[in-house]
Amino acid sequence: MKGTRTSLSQIDTIVGSLLMILALVASSFIVIIAAFITIRGILPFITDNNGLGSVNVLQFLTDTVWLRGTTFLSTAYGAGFVIINTLYIAFLTVLMSFPIGVLTALFIAKVAPRPIAATMRTIIELLASIPSIVFGLVGVGLFLPVIYGIARSMGYSSGGGSSVIATVFVLSLMSIPTITAVAEVSIRQVDESLEQASLALGASPTQTRFKITLLAAKSGIFSGAILAVGRSLGEATAVALVSGNARSGPSFGLFETTATITSTLLQGLKETNGIDYDIRFSLGILLMVVILTTNLGLNFIKRKVGNVHG
Amino acid sequence: MEKVIETQELSLNYGDFNALSNVNLPIYRNKVTALIGPSGCGKSTFLRCLNRMNDLIDNVKVDGIIRFNGEPVQGVGVDVIELRKKVGMVFQKPNPFPMSIFDNVAYGPRQQGIKDKATLKGIVEKALKQAALYNEVKDRMTESATRLSGGQQQRLCIARALAMEPEVLLMDEPTSALDPMATQRIEELIEELKKDYTIVIVTHSMQQAARISDNTAFFLLGEIIEFGQTSEIFANPRDKRTEDYITGRFG
Repeated sequence: MKGTRTSLSQIDTIVGSLLMILALVASSFIVIIAAFITIRGILPFITDNNGLGSVNVLQFLTDTVWLRGTTFLSTAYGAGFVIINTLYIAFLTVLMSFPIGVLTALFIAKVAPRPIAATMRTIIELLASIPSIVFGLVGVGLFLPVIYGIARSMGYSSGGGSSVIATVFVLSLMSIPTITAVAEVSIRQVDESLEQASLALGASPTQTRFKITLLAAKSGIFSGAILAVGRSLGEATAVALVSGNARSGPSFGLFETTATITSTLLQGLKETNGIDYDIRFSLGILLMVVILTTNLGLNFIKRKVGNVHG
Repeated sequence: MEKVIETQELSLNYGDFNALSNVNLPIYRNKVTALIGPSGCGKSTFLRCLNRMNDLIDNVKVDGIIRFNGEPVQGVGVDVIELRKKVGMVFQKPNPFPMSIFDNVAYGPRQQGIKDKATLKGIVEKALKQAALYNEVKDRMTESATRLSGGQQQRLCIARALAMEPEVLLMDEPTSALDPMATQRIEELIEELKKDYTIVIVTHSMQQAARISDNTAFFLLGEIIEFGQTSEIFANPRDKRTEDYITGRFG
Protein backbone atom coordinates (compact mmCIF):
# COMPACT_ATOMS: atom_id res chain seq x y z
CA MET A 1 0.00 0.00 0.00
CA LYS A 2 2.72 2.41 0.98
CA GLY A 3 4.57 1.86 -2.30
CA THR A 4 1.43 2.57 -4.35
CA ARG A 5 0.82 5.79 -2.52
CA THR A 6 4.36 7.03 -3.13
CA SER A 7 4.23 6.29 -6.85
CA LEU A 8 0.82 7.99 -7.09
CA SER A 9 2.19 11.11 -5.51
CA GLN A 10 5.20 10.95 -7.83
CA ILE A 11 2.84 10.84 -10.80
CA ASP A 12 1.06 13.86 -9.35
CA THR A 13 4.33 15.77 -9.21
CA ILE A 14 5.30 14.80 -12.78
CA VAL A 15 1.87 15.65 -14.23
CA GLY A 16 1.87 18.90 -12.30
CA SER A 17 5.23 19.97 -13.70
CA LEU A 18 4.23 18.91 -17.22
CA LEU A 19 1.09 21.01 -17.05
CA MET A 20 3.12 23.94 -15.80
CA ILE A 21 5.62 23.65 -18.64
CA LEU A 22 2.79 23.50 -21.21
CA ALA A 23 1.13 26.53 -19.66
CA LEU A 24 4.41 28.43 -19.74
CA VAL A 25 5.00 27.55 -23.40
CA ALA A 26 1.47 28.59 -24.35
CA SER A 27 1.64 31.87 -22.52
CA SER A 28 5.12 32.65 -23.78
CA PHE A 29 3.72 32.60 -27.34
CA ILE A 30 1.69 35.67 -26.48
CA VAL A 31 4.83 37.42 -25.30
CA ILE A 32 6.76 36.34 -28.41
CA ILE A 33 3.98 37.52 -30.76
CA ALA A 34 3.64 40.85 -29.00
CA ALA A 35 7.40 41.37 -28.97
CA PHE A 36 7.79 40.48 -32.65
CA ILE A 37 5.00 42.77 -33.82
CA THR A 38 6.24 45.56 -31.61
CA ILE A 39 9.85 45.33 -32.85
CA ARG A 40 8.80 45.18 -36.51
CA GLY A 41 6.18 47.87 -36.03
CA ILE A 42 8.61 50.32 -34.48
CA LEU A 43 10.98 50.26 -37.52
CA PRO A 44 9.14 52.91 -39.62
CA PHE A 45 9.41 55.34 -36.72
CA ILE A 46 13.11 54.88 -35.95
CA THR A 47 14.72 54.20 -39.35
CA ASP A 48 14.87 56.60 -42.31
CA ASN A 49 12.89 54.15 -44.51
CA ASN A 50 15.39 54.11 -47.41
CA GLY A 51 15.76 57.85 -47.51
CA LEU A 52 12.11 58.83 -47.11
CA GLY A 53 12.66 59.88 -43.52
CA SER A 54 11.10 58.39 -40.44
CA VAL A 55 7.36 58.43 -39.72
CA ASN A 56 6.29 60.83 -36.98
CA VAL A 57 4.54 58.90 -34.19
CA LEU A 58 2.15 61.73 -33.38
CA GLN A 59 1.19 62.12 -37.04
CA PHE A 60 0.74 58.38 -37.34
CA LEU A 61 -1.71 58.44 -34.42
CA THR A 62 -3.64 61.57 -35.34
CA ASP A 63 -3.47 62.28 -39.09
CA THR A 64 -6.40 61.63 -41.37
CA VAL A 65 -4.75 60.54 -44.62
CA TRP A 66 -3.28 57.12 -45.37
CA LEU A 67 -1.37 57.05 -48.66
CA ARG A 68 -1.46 53.35 -49.34
CA GLY A 69 0.63 51.64 -52.00
CA THR A 70 4.00 52.15 -53.56
CA THR A 71 2.70 54.70 -56.09
CA PHE A 72 2.80 57.58 -53.65
CA LEU A 73 5.88 56.63 -51.72
CA SER A 74 5.89 58.96 -48.74
CA THR A 75 5.75 58.94 -44.97
CA ALA A 76 2.14 60.17 -44.99
CA TYR A 77 0.64 57.40 -42.91
CA GLY A 78 -1.94 58.90 -40.59
CA ALA A 79 -4.01 56.27 -38.83
CA GLY A 80 -6.02 58.69 -36.69
CA PHE A 81 -9.11 58.39 -38.86
CA VAL A 82 -8.66 54.63 -39.04
CA ILE A 83 -8.77 54.35 -35.25
CA ILE A 84 -11.92 56.47 -35.10
CA ASN A 85 -13.55 54.47 -37.91
CA THR A 86 -12.72 51.20 -36.18
CA LEU A 87 -14.29 52.24 -32.89
CA TYR A 88 -17.26 53.86 -34.66
CA ILE A 89 -17.99 50.71 -36.65
CA ALA A 90 -17.62 48.49 -33.59
CA PHE A 91 -20.03 50.77 -31.74
CA LEU A 92 -22.63 50.71 -34.54
CA THR A 93 -22.26 46.95 -34.83
CA VAL A 94 -22.98 46.43 -31.14
CA LEU A 95 -25.83 48.93 -31.32
CA MET A 96 -27.40 46.84 -34.05
CA SER A 97 -26.51 43.29 -33.08
CA PHE A 98 -26.88 43.49 -29.28
CA PRO A 99 -30.66 44.06 -29.09
CA ILE A 100 -31.36 41.60 -31.90
CA GLY A 101 -29.09 38.96 -30.37
CA VAL A 102 -30.39 39.33 -26.82
CA LEU A 103 -34.05 39.34 -27.85
CA THR A 104 -33.49 36.29 -30.04
CA ALA A 105 -31.86 34.56 -27.07
CA LEU A 106 -34.79 35.50 -24.83
CA PHE A 107 -37.19 34.07 -27.39
CA ILE A 108 -35.27 30.80 -27.73
CA ALA A 109 -34.76 30.34 -24.00
CA LYS A 110 -38.14 31.42 -22.67
CA VAL A 111 -40.83 31.83 -25.29
CA ALA A 112 -40.32 29.36 -28.13
CA PRO A 113 -41.91 25.91 -27.89
CA ARG A 114 -39.30 23.22 -27.32
CA PRO A 115 -38.92 21.89 -30.91
CA ILE A 116 -38.63 25.39 -32.36
CA ALA A 117 -36.13 26.38 -29.66
CA ALA A 118 -34.00 23.30 -30.41
CA THR A 119 -34.03 24.04 -34.15
CA MET A 120 -33.15 27.69 -33.64
CA ARG A 121 -30.36 26.79 -31.23
CA THR A 122 -28.82 24.54 -33.92
CA ILE A 123 -29.15 27.27 -36.54
CA ILE A 124 -27.47 29.81 -34.26
CA GLU A 125 -24.60 27.40 -33.56
CA LEU A 126 -24.17 26.77 -37.30
CA LEU A 127 -24.21 30.50 -38.02
CA ALA A 128 -21.56 31.07 -35.34
CA SER A 129 -19.29 28.53 -37.03
CA ILE A 130 -19.48 29.96 -40.57
CA PRO A 131 -16.11 31.42 -41.61
CA SER A 132 -16.06 35.20 -41.82
CA ILE A 133 -15.08 35.21 -45.50
CA VAL A 134 -18.49 33.71 -46.28
CA PHE A 135 -20.17 36.62 -44.54
CA GLY A 136 -17.89 38.87 -46.59
CA LEU A 137 -19.07 37.19 -49.80
CA VAL A 138 -22.70 37.70 -48.80
CA GLY A 139 -21.83 41.31 -48.16
CA VAL A 140 -20.20 41.77 -51.56
CA GLY A 141 -22.75 39.81 -53.55
CA LEU A 142 -25.93 40.80 -51.76
CA PHE A 143 -25.56 43.91 -49.63
CA LEU A 144 -23.33 46.05 -51.85
CA PRO A 145 -25.67 46.15 -54.90
CA VAL A 146 -28.69 46.82 -52.66
CA ILE A 147 -26.93 49.56 -50.70
CA TYR A 148 -25.59 51.04 -53.93
CA GLY A 149 -29.13 51.21 -55.30
CA ILE A 150 -30.59 52.70 -52.13
CA ALA A 151 -27.79 55.26 -51.83
CA ARG A 152 -28.29 56.35 -55.43
CA SER A 153 -32.04 56.64 -55.10
CA MET A 154 -31.48 58.85 -52.05
CA GLY A 155 -29.01 61.00 -53.93
CA TYR A 156 -25.87 59.83 -52.17
CA SER A 157 -22.85 58.54 -53.97
CA SER A 158 -21.31 55.37 -52.60
CA GLY A 159 -18.30 53.49 -53.84
CA GLY A 160 -20.30 50.69 -55.45
CA GLY A 161 -22.09 50.15 -52.15
CA SER A 162 -18.91 49.76 -50.13
CA SER A 163 -19.77 51.74 -47.07
CA VAL A 164 -20.01 52.08 -43.31
CA ILE A 165 -23.48 50.54 -43.37
CA ALA A 166 -22.34 47.53 -45.44
CA THR A 167 -19.50 46.92 -42.99
CA VAL A 168 -21.84 47.22 -40.00
CA PHE A 169 -24.32 44.80 -41.60
CA VAL A 170 -21.67 42.18 -42.30
CA LEU A 171 -20.16 42.50 -38.81
CA SER A 172 -23.62 42.38 -37.22
CA LEU A 173 -24.44 39.18 -39.12
CA MET A 174 -21.27 37.72 -37.66
CA SER A 175 -21.88 39.04 -34.13
CA ILE A 176 -25.53 38.16 -33.67
CA PRO A 177 -24.96 34.38 -33.40
CA THR A 178 -22.22 34.91 -30.80
CA ILE A 179 -24.32 37.29 -28.72
CA THR A 180 -27.36 35.03 -29.03
CA ALA A 181 -25.52 31.84 -28.10
CA VAL A 182 -23.83 33.31 -25.02
CA ALA A 183 -26.93 35.20 -23.87
CA GLU A 184 -29.16 32.17 -24.35
CA VAL A 185 -27.00 30.03 -22.09
CA SER A 186 -26.95 32.65 -19.34
CA ILE A 187 -30.71 33.26 -19.64
CA ARG A 188 -31.38 29.54 -19.25
CA GLN A 189 -29.20 29.50 -16.14
CA VAL A 190 -31.30 32.13 -14.35
CA ASP A 191 -32.70 30.75 -11.10
CA GLU A 192 -36.31 29.83 -11.90
CA SER A 193 -37.37 30.73 -8.38
CA LEU A 194 -36.71 34.41 -9.21
CA GLU A 195 -39.08 34.24 -12.16
CA GLN A 196 -41.65 32.42 -10.04
CA ALA A 197 -41.37 35.10 -7.35
CA SER A 198 -42.06 37.75 -9.97
CA LEU A 199 -45.08 35.90 -11.36
CA ALA A 200 -46.38 35.27 -7.84
CA LEU A 201 -46.30 39.03 -7.28
CA GLY A 202 -48.75 39.48 -10.12
CA ALA A 203 -46.22 40.47 -12.78
CA SER A 204 -47.03 39.24 -16.28
CA PRO A 205 -44.71 36.76 -18.03
CA THR A 206 -43.50 39.56 -20.32
CA GLN A 207 -42.72 41.85 -17.39
CA THR A 208 -40.95 38.96 -15.69
CA ARG A 209 -38.80 38.21 -18.74
CA PHE A 210 -37.69 41.78 -19.28
CA LYS A 211 -37.39 42.96 -15.67
CA ILE A 212 -36.14 39.84 -13.90
CA THR A 213 -34.78 37.27 -16.34
CA LEU A 214 -32.66 39.70 -18.35
CA LEU A 215 -31.53 41.46 -15.18
CA ALA A 216 -30.41 38.21 -13.57
CA ALA A 217 -28.62 37.14 -16.76
CA LYS A 218 -26.95 40.49 -17.42
CA SER A 219 -23.44 39.37 -16.57
CA GLY A 220 -23.49 36.60 -19.18
CA ILE A 221 -25.28 38.81 -21.69
CA PHE A 222 -22.55 41.40 -21.26
CA SER A 223 -19.86 38.76 -21.83
CA GLY A 224 -21.48 37.97 -25.18
CA ALA A 225 -21.40 41.63 -26.12
CA ILE A 226 -17.70 41.81 -25.22
CA LEU A 227 -16.98 38.82 -27.48
CA ALA A 228 -18.94 40.52 -30.27
CA VAL A 229 -16.97 43.75 -29.87
CA GLY A 230 -13.76 41.74 -30.03
CA ARG A 231 -14.89 40.08 -33.22
CA SER A 232 -15.92 43.39 -34.79
CA LEU A 233 -12.58 44.99 -33.93
CA GLY A 234 -10.53 42.02 -35.11
CA GLU A 235 -12.32 40.97 -38.29
CA ALA A 236 -10.21 41.76 -41.38
CA THR A 237 -11.19 39.91 -44.55
CA ALA A 238 -14.93 40.41 -44.52
CA VAL A 239 -14.44 44.07 -43.64
CA ALA A 240 -11.84 44.58 -46.38
CA LEU A 241 -14.37 43.25 -48.91
CA VAL A 242 -17.15 45.70 -48.10
CA SER A 243 -15.61 48.76 -46.44
CA GLY A 244 -14.26 50.42 -49.58
CA ASN A 245 -10.84 50.84 -47.94
CA ALA A 246 -10.96 54.61 -47.76
CA ARG A 247 -7.67 56.49 -47.72
CA SER A 248 -8.89 59.34 -45.61
CA GLY A 249 -11.58 60.04 -43.09
CA PRO A 250 -13.04 59.60 -40.58
CA SER A 251 -16.27 58.46 -42.21
CA PHE A 252 -19.39 58.98 -40.15
CA GLY A 253 -21.96 59.01 -42.96
CA LEU A 254 -23.55 55.58 -43.37
CA PHE A 255 -23.01 55.52 -47.16
CA GLU A 256 -19.40 56.76 -47.05
CA THR A 257 -16.59 54.34 -47.75
CA THR A 258 -14.54 53.57 -44.70
CA ALA A 259 -11.45 51.72 -43.49
CA THR A 260 -10.70 49.97 -40.23
CA ILE A 261 -7.35 49.09 -38.69
CA THR A 262 -7.68 45.50 -39.89
CA SER A 263 -8.81 46.28 -43.43
CA THR A 264 -6.07 48.90 -43.84
CA LEU A 265 -3.52 46.42 -42.56
CA LEU A 266 -4.69 43.71 -44.94
CA GLN A 267 -5.27 45.73 -48.12
CA GLY A 268 -2.48 44.94 -50.59
CA LEU A 269 -0.17 43.60 -47.90
CA LYS A 270 1.38 40.99 -50.16
CA GLU A 271 1.84 43.27 -53.18
CA THR A 272 3.88 45.96 -51.55
CA ASN A 273 7.27 46.52 -49.98
CA GLY A 274 9.42 49.04 -48.18
CA ILE A 275 7.77 51.43 -45.77
CA ASP A 276 4.30 50.58 -47.12
CA TYR A 277 4.94 47.03 -45.97
CA ASP A 278 6.64 47.84 -42.67
CA ILE A 279 3.93 50.26 -41.61
CA ARG A 280 1.44 47.35 -41.51
CA PHE A 281 3.26 46.05 -38.46
CA SER A 282 2.78 49.43 -36.82
CA LEU A 283 -0.93 48.99 -37.48
CA GLY A 284 -0.58 45.58 -35.81
CA ILE A 285 0.66 47.25 -32.62
CA LEU A 286 -2.19 49.73 -32.87
CA LEU A 287 -4.75 46.95 -33.26
CA MET A 288 -3.40 45.08 -30.24
CA VAL A 289 -3.48 48.22 -28.13
CA VAL A 290 -7.01 49.16 -29.25
CA ILE A 291 -8.38 45.66 -28.58
CA LEU A 292 -6.60 45.38 -25.26
CA THR A 293 -7.81 48.73 -23.94
CA THR A 294 -11.35 48.16 -25.23
CA ASN A 295 -11.46 44.77 -23.52
CA LEU A 296 -10.07 46.14 -20.28
CA GLY A 297 -12.54 49.01 -20.40
CA LEU A 298 -15.53 46.75 -21.11
CA ASN A 299 -14.50 44.28 -18.41
CA PHE A 300 -14.20 47.15 -15.98
CA ILE A 301 -17.73 48.29 -16.88
CA LYS A 302 -18.96 44.71 -16.62
CA ARG A 303 -17.56 44.39 -13.11
CA LYS A 304 -19.13 47.70 -12.13
CA VAL A 305 -22.50 46.82 -13.62
CA GLY A 306 -22.38 43.25 -12.36
CA ASN A 307 -21.43 44.20 -8.82
CA VAL A 308 -24.12 46.75 -8.15
CA HIS A 309 -26.65 44.16 -7.08
CA GLY A 310 -24.99 40.92 -8.13
CA MET B 1 -65.76 31.75 10.78
CA GLU B 2 -65.42 33.20 7.30
CA LYS B 3 -63.84 31.08 4.61
CA VAL B 4 -61.45 32.99 2.34
CA ILE B 5 -60.52 29.99 0.25
CA GLU B 6 -62.33 26.74 -0.16
CA THR B 7 -61.58 23.69 -2.26
CA GLN B 8 -64.03 20.97 -3.20
CA GLU B 9 -63.05 17.59 -4.60
CA LEU B 10 -59.81 19.08 -5.83
CA SER B 11 -57.57 16.67 -7.69
CA LEU B 12 -54.41 17.25 -9.68
CA ASN B 13 -52.46 15.05 -12.09
CA TYR B 14 -48.98 15.48 -13.53
CA GLY B 15 -49.39 13.43 -16.69
CA ASP B 16 -50.26 10.00 -15.30
CA PHE B 17 -49.17 10.76 -11.77
CA ASN B 18 -51.96 11.57 -9.36
CA ALA B 19 -50.61 14.22 -6.96
CA LEU B 20 -53.84 15.29 -5.25
CA SER B 21 -57.18 13.58 -5.00
CA ASN B 22 -60.47 14.70 -3.52
CA VAL B 23 -59.06 17.50 -1.39
CA ASN B 24 -61.72 19.46 0.49
CA LEU B 25 -60.23 22.19 2.61
CA PRO B 26 -61.48 25.48 4.01
CA ILE B 27 -59.03 28.30 4.73
CA TYR B 28 -60.41 30.67 7.37
CA ARG B 29 -59.84 34.41 7.45
CA ASN B 30 -57.11 35.76 9.76
CA LYS B 31 -56.09 32.27 10.78
CA VAL B 32 -52.87 30.40 10.19
CA THR B 33 -53.50 27.12 8.43
CA ALA B 34 -50.62 24.65 8.49
CA LEU B 35 -50.24 21.92 5.86
CA ILE B 36 -48.18 19.04 7.20
CA GLY B 37 -47.22 15.62 5.91
CA PRO B 38 -44.23 13.66 4.63
CA SER B 39 -42.26 14.69 1.51
CA GLY B 40 -44.18 14.16 -1.69
CA CYS B 41 -47.57 14.10 0.04
CA GLY B 42 -48.89 16.92 -2.13
CA LYS B 43 -48.95 19.77 0.40
CA SER B 44 -46.76 22.10 -1.70
CA THR B 45 -48.67 21.14 -4.84
CA PHE B 46 -51.90 22.03 -3.04
CA LEU B 47 -50.44 25.37 -1.95
CA ARG B 48 -49.48 26.18 -5.53
CA CYS B 49 -53.03 25.49 -6.70
CA LEU B 50 -54.23 28.40 -4.61
CA ASN B 51 -52.35 31.03 -6.66
CA ARG B 52 -52.20 28.87 -9.77
CA MET B 53 -48.42 28.57 -9.83
CA ASN B 54 -48.94 25.03 -11.14
CA ASP B 55 -49.93 26.64 -14.44
CA LEU B 56 -46.21 26.99 -15.12
CA ILE B 57 -45.68 23.24 -15.25
CA ASP B 58 -46.47 21.29 -18.41
CA ASN B 59 -49.01 18.46 -18.37
CA VAL B 60 -50.78 19.52 -15.21
CA LYS B 61 -54.48 18.86 -15.04
CA VAL B 62 -56.56 20.27 -12.19
CA ASP B 63 -60.10 19.06 -11.49
CA GLY B 64 -62.56 20.14 -8.85
CA ILE B 65 -63.40 23.53 -7.45
CA ILE B 66 -61.21 26.17 -5.81
CA ARG B 67 -62.98 29.30 -4.63
CA PHE B 68 -61.34 32.51 -3.45
CA ASN B 69 -63.87 34.82 -1.77
CA GLY B 70 -66.55 32.71 -3.40
CA GLU B 71 -65.19 33.22 -6.92
CA PRO B 72 -63.73 30.33 -8.92
CA VAL B 73 -59.94 30.33 -9.25
CA GLN B 74 -59.67 27.77 -12.04
CA GLY B 75 -61.00 28.05 -15.53
CA VAL B 76 -61.00 30.28 -18.57
CA GLY B 77 -61.65 33.94 -18.00
CA VAL B 78 -60.13 34.00 -14.53
CA ASP B 79 -57.56 36.79 -14.29
CA VAL B 80 -54.50 35.03 -12.87
CA ILE B 81 -52.70 38.32 -12.31
CA GLU B 82 -55.58 39.69 -10.20
CA LEU B 83 -55.59 36.43 -8.23
CA ARG B 84 -51.86 36.56 -7.58
CA LYS B 85 -52.08 40.18 -6.48
CA LYS B 86 -54.47 39.09 -3.72
CA VAL B 87 -52.83 35.77 -2.92
CA GLY B 88 -49.15 36.41 -2.25
CA MET B 89 -46.45 33.77 -1.93
CA VAL B 90 -43.22 33.26 -0.02
CA PHE B 91 -40.90 30.53 -1.22
CA GLN B 92 -38.81 27.88 0.49
CA LYS B 93 -35.46 29.42 -0.34
CA PRO B 94 -35.16 33.19 0.10
CA ASN B 95 -35.16 34.52 -3.46
CA PRO B 96 -34.61 38.28 -3.46
CA PHE B 97 -34.21 39.81 -6.91
CA PRO B 98 -30.68 40.94 -7.80
CA MET B 99 -31.54 44.59 -7.16
CA SER B 100 -31.64 46.98 -4.23
CA ILE B 101 -33.66 46.39 -1.06
CA PHE B 102 -36.01 49.22 -2.02
CA ASP B 103 -36.45 48.01 -5.59
CA ASN B 104 -37.24 44.49 -4.38
CA VAL B 105 -40.17 45.66 -2.30
CA ALA B 106 -41.28 48.20 -4.90
CA TYR B 107 -41.16 45.63 -7.70
CA GLY B 108 -44.73 44.34 -7.42
CA PRO B 109 -46.42 47.77 -7.17
CA ARG B 110 -44.25 49.08 -10.01
CA GLN B 111 -45.44 46.28 -12.33
CA GLN B 112 -48.98 47.48 -11.61
CA GLY B 113 -48.00 50.89 -12.95
CA ILE B 114 -47.33 52.78 -9.70
CA LYS B 115 -44.57 55.25 -10.53
CA ASP B 116 -44.97 58.08 -8.02
CA LYS B 117 -41.88 58.10 -5.81
CA ALA B 118 -43.62 59.25 -2.64
CA THR B 119 -46.33 56.60 -3.03
CA LEU B 120 -43.75 53.88 -3.62
CA LYS B 121 -41.69 55.04 -0.64
CA GLY B 122 -44.78 54.84 1.54
CA ILE B 123 -45.65 51.34 0.32
CA VAL B 124 -42.08 50.08 0.77
CA GLU B 125 -41.73 51.48 4.29
CA LYS B 126 -45.07 50.08 5.38
CA ALA B 127 -44.29 46.63 3.99
CA LEU B 128 -40.82 46.58 5.56
CA LYS B 129 -42.27 47.61 8.92
CA GLN B 130 -44.91 44.88 8.70
CA ALA B 131 -42.18 42.36 7.94
CA ALA B 132 -40.18 43.60 10.96
CA LEU B 133 -37.23 44.46 8.76
CA TYR B 134 -37.49 48.24 8.50
CA ASN B 135 -35.21 49.14 11.41
CA GLU B 136 -32.45 46.89 10.14
CA VAL B 137 -32.45 48.22 6.57
CA LYS B 138 -33.77 51.78 6.74
CA ASP B 139 -30.28 53.27 6.23
CA ARG B 140 -29.30 50.88 3.44
CA MET B 141 -32.30 50.86 1.13
CA THR B 142 -30.12 51.24 -1.98
CA GLU B 143 -27.84 48.36 -1.06
CA SER B 144 -28.14 45.06 -2.86
CA ALA B 145 -30.71 42.73 -1.32
CA THR B 146 -28.40 39.78 -1.90
CA ARG B 147 -26.04 41.16 0.77
CA LEU B 148 -28.62 40.63 3.52
CA SER B 149 -28.43 37.54 5.75
CA GLY B 150 -30.65 34.56 4.93
CA GLY B 151 -33.22 35.44 7.58
CA GLN B 152 -33.28 39.08 6.50
CA GLN B 153 -33.66 37.98 2.88
CA GLN B 154 -36.67 35.87 3.78
CA ARG B 155 -38.26 38.75 5.70
CA LEU B 156 -37.55 40.93 2.65
CA CYS B 157 -39.40 38.40 0.50
CA ILE B 158 -42.31 38.58 2.95
CA ALA B 159 -42.21 42.40 2.72
CA ARG B 160 -42.12 42.12 -1.07
CA ALA B 161 -45.30 40.02 -0.98
CA LEU B 162 -46.95 42.34 1.58
CA ALA B 163 -46.29 45.37 -0.62
CA MET B 164 -49.06 44.07 -2.91
CA GLU B 165 -51.46 44.23 0.07
CA PRO B 166 -52.69 40.68 -0.48
CA GLU B 167 -55.47 39.05 1.52
CA VAL B 168 -53.78 35.69 1.73
CA LEU B 169 -50.12 34.83 2.18
CA LEU B 170 -48.99 31.39 1.01
CA MET B 171 -45.75 30.23 2.62
CA ASP B 172 -43.95 27.20 1.24
CA GLU B 173 -41.67 25.96 4.05
CA PRO B 174 -40.42 29.53 4.60
CA THR B 175 -37.97 28.64 7.38
CA SER B 176 -36.49 25.38 6.10
CA ALA B 177 -33.38 27.17 4.78
CA LEU B 178 -32.91 29.30 7.92
CA ASP B 179 -31.10 28.90 11.23
CA PRO B 180 -33.09 28.58 14.50
CA MET B 181 -32.78 32.27 15.41
CA ALA B 182 -34.00 33.45 12.02
CA THR B 183 -36.75 30.81 12.14
CA GLN B 184 -37.95 32.15 15.47
CA ARG B 185 -38.14 35.68 14.10
CA ILE B 186 -40.20 34.52 11.11
CA GLU B 187 -42.54 32.60 13.42
CA GLU B 188 -43.04 35.68 15.61
CA LEU B 189 -43.70 37.63 12.44
CA ILE B 190 -46.36 35.14 11.33
CA GLU B 191 -48.10 35.56 14.71
CA GLU B 192 -48.13 39.30 14.10
CA LEU B 193 -49.23 39.09 10.44
CA LYS B 194 -52.30 36.97 11.03
CA LYS B 195 -54.05 40.01 12.50
CA ASP B 196 -54.21 41.45 9.00
CA TYR B 197 -53.70 38.48 6.71
CA THR B 198 -54.81 34.93 6.19
CA ILE B 199 -51.81 32.62 6.15
CA VAL B 200 -51.38 29.16 4.68
CA ILE B 201 -48.05 27.60 5.57
CA VAL B 202 -46.48 24.37 4.40
CA THR B 203 -44.07 23.03 6.99
CA HIS B 204 -41.96 19.98 7.61
CA SER B 205 -41.70 20.77 11.26
CA MET B 206 -44.47 19.47 13.50
CA GLN B 207 -43.29 21.76 16.29
CA GLN B 208 -43.62 24.72 13.99
CA ALA B 209 -47.16 23.75 13.00
CA ALA B 210 -48.05 23.29 16.67
CA ARG B 211 -46.49 26.63 17.66
CA ILE B 212 -47.90 28.96 15.05
CA SER B 213 -51.00 27.51 13.41
CA ASP B 214 -54.67 27.64 14.32
CA ASN B 215 -55.75 24.88 11.98
CA THR B 216 -53.79 21.96 10.60
CA ALA B 217 -54.34 19.72 7.61
CA PHE B 218 -52.46 16.43 7.47
CA PHE B 219 -51.69 15.27 3.92
CA LEU B 220 -50.70 11.77 2.93
CA LEU B 221 -50.28 10.48 -0.63
CA GLY B 222 -52.24 13.37 -2.10
CA GLU B 223 -55.20 13.11 0.24
CA ILE B 224 -56.20 14.97 3.37
CA ILE B 225 -56.26 12.45 6.18
CA GLU B 226 -57.31 14.87 8.84
CA PHE B 227 -58.17 18.53 9.19
CA GLY B 228 -59.11 20.46 12.31
CA GLN B 229 -57.97 22.80 15.02
CA THR B 230 -54.26 22.42 15.59
CA SER B 231 -54.65 21.85 19.34
CA GLU B 232 -57.20 19.12 18.60
CA ILE B 233 -55.11 17.40 15.92
CA PHE B 234 -52.01 17.30 18.07
CA ALA B 235 -53.80 16.33 21.31
CA ASN B 236 -56.39 13.89 20.01
CA PRO B 237 -55.72 12.78 16.46
CA ARG B 238 -58.72 10.84 15.17
CA ASP B 239 -56.81 8.88 12.57
CA LYS B 240 -54.10 6.36 13.43
CA ARG B 241 -51.92 7.62 10.53
CA THR B 242 -52.06 11.19 11.84
CA GLU B 243 -51.03 9.99 15.25
CA ASP B 244 -48.17 7.95 13.79
CA TYR B 245 -46.93 10.94 11.81
CA ILE B 246 -47.08 13.55 14.55
CA THR B 247 -45.47 11.21 17.06
CA GLY B 248 -42.63 10.73 14.61
CA ARG B 249 -43.27 7.09 13.75
CA PHE B 250 -42.83 7.89 10.03
CA GLY B 251 -42.21 10.88 7.74
